[in-house]
Amino acid sequence: MGFSKPPVQALKIANKQKRKELFVAHKRASGKERHEERHRRRKEESRNPELKAARLAKNVPRTLEHKRVWDDVDDDSLGAVVDLEQLKRRRMEQAEAEERAAIEAAEKMEEDDDDDNDSMLDSDEEEDEEAREARLERQREKRAQRNPSIAPSTTSTNLDLTPTSLALKFPSLFSDEPPPEPKILVTTSLNSTLHEEAHILTTLFPNSNYVPRSSHRYGHKYSLREICKFSTEKGYTAVILMKEDQKKPTGLSVVHLPKGPTFHFTISNWIEGKKLPGHGNPTNHYPELLLNNFKTPLGLLTAKLFQTMFPPRPEFEGRQVTALHNQRDYIFVRRFRYVFRDKRATEKSVTDAEGNALKGVEGIRAGLQELGPRFTLKLRRVDKGVGRAGSEGDDAIQWEWKSKMEKDRKRFNL
Amino acid sequence: MASDEIVWQIINQQFCAFKLKTEKQQNFCRNEHNVTGLCNRQSCPLANSRYATIRQHPTKDTLYLYMKTVERAHLPSKMWERIKLSNNYTKALEQIDERLIYWPKFLIHKCKQRLTRLTQVQIRMRRIAAEDERLGEKLVPKLAPKVRHREATRERKAEAAAKLERTIERELLERLRQGAYGDQPLNVSEDIWKKVLNAMEKGGEGERDEDMDKGIESDEEFDGIAESEDEDADAAVEYVSDAEESEDELEDLEDWLESEDEEEEEEEDSDESEAEKAGSKRKRGKVTKMKNKRPKQQEKEKLALTNDLAW
Repeated sequence: MGFSKPPVQALKIANKQKRKELFVAHKRASGKERHEERHRRRKEESRNPELKAARLAKNVPRTLEHKRVWDDVDDDSLGAVVDLEQLKRRRMEQAEAEERAAIEAAEKMEEDDDDDNDSMLDSDEEEDEEAREARLERQREKRAQRNPSIAPSTTSTNLDLTPTSLALKFPSLFSDEPPPEPKILVTTSLNSTLHEEAHILTTLFPNSNYVPRSSHRYGHKYSLREICKFSTEKGYTAVILMKEDQKKPTGLSVVHLPKGPTFHFTISNWIEGKKLPGHGNPTNHYPELLLNNFKTPLGLLTAKLFQTMFPPRPEFEGRQVTALHNQRDYIFVRRFRYVFRDKRATEKSVTDAEGNALKGVEGIRAGLQELGPRFTLKLRRVDKGVGRAGSEGDDAIQWEWKSKMEKDRKRFNL
Repeated sequence: MASDEIVWQIINQQFCAFKLKTEKQQNFCRNEHNVTGLCNRQSCPLANSRYATIRQHPTKDTLYLYMKTVERAHLPSKMWERIKLSNNYTKALEQIDERLIYWPKFLIHKCKQRLTRLTQVQIRMRRIAAEDERLGEKLVPKLAPKVRHREATRERKAEAAAKLERTIERELLERLRQGAYGDQPLNVSEDIWKKVLNAMEKGGEGERDEDMDKGIESDEEFDGIAESEDEDADAAVEYVSDAEESEDELEDLEDWLESEDEEEEEEEDSDESEAEKAGSKRKRGKVTKMKNKRPKQQEKEKLALTNDLAW
């Protein structure tokens, strides 16, 4: 089956008519072969559905997600490309192994000086050990089953995995006390005319308002640092600065008040809600937040930033969800209104990443209506303080995107 | 000198590499030594063997007075004499007056004009640089078109790979299933919610209430741990009994163990084994007992968890 090359004559023969005939004949023959193969397979599979399942299980495309490479280091600092989940699992296993070794050693010791220890436990010592061994065996089996599947069962981000080094580096973001209710100031770069887009941003982030930046030509121009100072005094928790180029939003600098860090993103493919076909209109309810697929320390840092920018208690009656989905270092920002509805007869039920149906919600699907805006972010730089000008010292730039990072296209930073 | 006239003839009537012809009457001169920028007999630095101009240092802010005289016309390497001018504008003017004392009035005047102009440019440049520094707004430079195109392609492919709507739908249903929306969710219609609850009960993990608890727990925690925890929890539920004797036994055991001050784990294991022995005759688990037992175990697990998290 599949594509077969036409015979040499069909390509090289001098007479065009003849060549055409030959080529058509070849096409017809190969197409027929393919169709027959398909029909045959379908018949077989209808008789024996296992065959189809086996074929589909085998026929999994190898995507970049499967091939993604990680740094092979036991390191959870900001620049390291490590999957924190995997890292934690590895560490736990190590610790467990050590513990087990320690227990075994202790048991040996106990056996040595068993006679002087007359205890009530003595009678069921053996059973005890057996039980423990059985349990360990069971655990081991379970782990052996779990390990090979690298594909994440769920894509959402687990912020509990934040390494302490990261939390120490950004104490204002990862503080133990609950963060204050977010209040966000949206503004633009100097002399920008993107007032409409800025207003759209204010609808995306709850509790935010837009302050136009530009004044008349000789007026005093406020720097980002000054703006941040004022807004800290006014009780804001974050400042968003939208950059424009050729009347299109191209960048987003997000300052976490009062002292930073500052994140610089580039925006691409900005589409406002009104331009989306079949769009809905957003309401003022606090949306739910979905942070998907942020895995490395840098990814978690970014996820945490966005988490602090949305109110912790969403208003479910609004049925709105804002999703920030990270895929291959691109953060896709989307906003939807959803409705849980019964599955229609023609629809399939929702599956997890491996293609197995989700248990417990078989007959249910979520209908989505996009509200917009829709855009893509890409992280370019993380500054320690307020903007580049406001951070000083050796670690002023905590992380910066470099073109050479993308040389290996299987390696991703977030 | 005599050759000046010949040079000017050639420049004016034939060709000069520095000449910039315009449609108007006036031509411009691109020579860097030209004091006015115009192409005429008086301000041509090539056709005058006696010439003076003001130039700035290529990298620094210093201004120099450049002078060319007939006496050095035969030495191209030493043709220009360079005098550093003071940073003070008035002093620099005096310096020019002093150096060009017997020079043509035209050159003196033009040199002073050029000095003034260059000083003003410097002042404005400094002011703009300071303003830029204060604003600190030049953040991420625009990327090269090649990189932009590459990123656009990769973004398109990443979006296709993300399957955004499907992923979001799956996440939402996951939340619904795990009970993240509470007992009486506002965003789910009643029929659907009944269905979910039924499915939960059919899932067989026991009563409704406990089921919810578990969902929230596993939501919060790392799934690997959560699974093992479930296992442990099940074991605990299975082994717990309401019989008086075993409780007494346990208490005795615990007292004894505390007095001995042994490892807690030993105690835990012995508990389990005791319960296992007794388990065959006692099927009904007393709820209060279970509640007593579970927090202890959870506490211990939490301890282990915090240990794991402190890394």
